Amino acid sequence: MAATEGFKRHGAHSYLATFDSAEKEVILNLVEQIIELLAERVDHVHDDPLAAMVGITSHDSPPEDDVLHRLLPNAYADDVDAAEFRRYTESTLRGKKQAHAMSIRMMLKASPEGDVELDHQGANDWLGGLNDIRLALGVRLKIENNNYEHLELLSPDDPLRGVYAVYTWLGWLQESLLEALMDEVE
Amino acid sequence: MVKLADALEEEIQAIFSSDTPWVTIVWDDPVNLQSYVTYVFMELFGYSKAKATELMLQVHNEGKAIVSTGSREEMEHDVARLHEYGLWATLQRGDQI
Repeated sequence: MAATEGFKRHGAHSYLATFDSAEKEVILNLVEQIIELLAERVDHVHDDPLAAMVGITSHDSPPEDDVLHRLLPNAYADDVDAAEFRRYTESTLRGKKQAHAMSIRMMLKASPEGDVELDHQGANDWLGGLNDIRLALGVRLKIENNNYEHLELLSPDDPLRGVYAVYTWLGWLQESLLEALMDEVE
Repeated sequence: MVKLADALEEEIQAIFSSDTPWVTIVWDDPVNLQSYVTYVFMELFGYSKAKATELMLQVHNEGKAIVSTGSREEMEHDVARLHEYGLWATLQRGDQI
């Protein structure tokens, strides 16, 4: 099976891509890691079931993990305001990001041939989900200030080289979907 | 006469409106694709491609841009939606920029 040519527009509000089995595995593996990473922090001190039910958490500090911190950033420069906002919204944000990743996972799982057909909402799920993966990989690859020199110079046996290749490929895939969407706008 | 009425209305509104406008700011991020940032602005705020592109370029070239203005509650909503799509956004009072 040939490697994917990315997403192409197929009529109105429909975007198609076909992935070979290796590509499918790479994307599935990454979305599953994102879903797991975004799972709720274990909230030992939570003793208010009503608060838990409406998504209010007792933790309000930013995540310690750098990747999670990038996926769930502070909404305010001020720490007190940021903590308050996080307490009421972080759980919902985790859920929304997980939903994007789960949508990608479900579509790939449902297609043994690797064909994916997206409607407008599906396209948004893929864009958001692919972007979260790229943000996560970007933190691990230390991509800052548009400087890629340290990555271009990686030795062939450095495992980060493979990560960088996946990061670049996902950016290309995301761009193909964006081009298909923008094509419709014009 | 019309001009005076307009000016007066504005003045009165300013006196009675205690709401200081808040702003949503999007910060530059080397990972997010330029086309993606433009698309998210169009999708979330209903901006034209031209306006969305202009804001994206401002983020890219100046490091940040104000993408929406309104009440604190509205800006919290906008920031939450931008975070859902992975953009690096914060809100603050408009008079403290």
